[in-house]
Amino acid sequence: MHDVRLHGEEVLKRQLELAEENRKRFSAAGVRAISLMGAIGSGKTSIVERLIARLKPLHVRIGTIAADSAGDDDHRRFVAAGAESVNLNTQDDCHLDAHRVNHAVEHLPIDDLDVLFIENVGNLICPADFPLGAAKEVVVISVTEGDDMVRKHPKIFAQTDIVVINKIDLADAVGVDVRRIAEDYASINPHGVCLMTDARHDVGMDEVARALGIECTSIPSQAS
Amino acid sequence: MHEYSIASELVKALLEQLEPHPGRITHVFVQKGELRILSDPALRTAFELLARGTRLEGADLVIELVPARIACPACGYEGPADHADDEVFHYAIPVLSCPTCDSAVKVLSGRELCVDRVTVETDDDEH
Repeated sequence: MHDVRLHGEEVLKRQLELAEENRKRFSAAGVRAISLMGAIGSGKTSIVERLIARLKPLHVRIGTIAADSAGDDDHRRFVAAGAESVNLNTQDDCHLDAHRVNHAVEHLPIDDLDVLFIENVGNLICPADFPLGAAKEVVVISVTEGDDMVRKHPKIFAQTDIVVINKIDLADAVGVDVRRIAEDYASINPHGVCLMTDARHDVGMDEVARALGIECTSIPSQAS
Repeated sequence: MHEYSIASELVKALLEQLEPHPGRITHVFVQKGELRILSDPALRTAFELLARGTRLEGADLVIELVPARIACPACGYEGPADHADDEVFHYAIPVLSCPTCDSAVKVLSGRELCVDRVTVETDDDEH
């Protein structure tokens, strides 16, 4: 019986390489790629719709990758909002990966875009292990998920730079203390940015755009 | 349940890397960074199933937890992260903040999942 020492390579090496390839592709095309994660019904799609509506009049060109296990509901909402969109069905897979994003990008006029929103499958745990190559990652949670949300998924929130707490207009109705979510997050991620939104009524969206860096990088100054 | 995707990559990588090493594989040791969000029992079950019918069938998957390492651009600290392990969270969560000056830090390692070594049993072992 003897031990054989192996390369010590990352098991998901190919995925990490593809994520890096995506990152370079976006950067070469001058596209700011933003990845959104969060549970089903947290409001990821509504937030992207609101951002598209704000960016469109400024002639910012927007692409979207709408990932869901099935259906094209989100994709159709993005198209209606004015984005160049690709529908990506993962067919029961619980997360997007860099390989799928890589292929989805082939169906977008990537060189003509300024911002690309990549909406992950509604799931909070699985996507965390699969980097896609985005410049910014944001986790969206809804107050309806309960004010113990961060306590239930501390490891994810400890590594998430931007958290959006959505549907704050419903906090009272569902008996949730929004401050508790923000405090839990601050305790494990002292440098993270925590934002409050009510995407349905377009509340707090300026702050989200600013945190994602879309205003400063993508709005052409000559646009009027 | 993303452990099956990972176990499938793991089995593929192992079979490739072990080609020059004949014998029966009894143990596979992988190192998991503490920032990785991955269930050990789910990964072991996935590995056991996906290893069936290959040289890895019956091998034990041993998952070793490796602490995260961080670097502080403000004060130059380099080393492990502090952990939030109060009663609320029930298990230790590495906090990505400088333990000496509270600045934002860069993660040097802790998100990896790497195959470290395997134990191989060959016919020679029986003599």
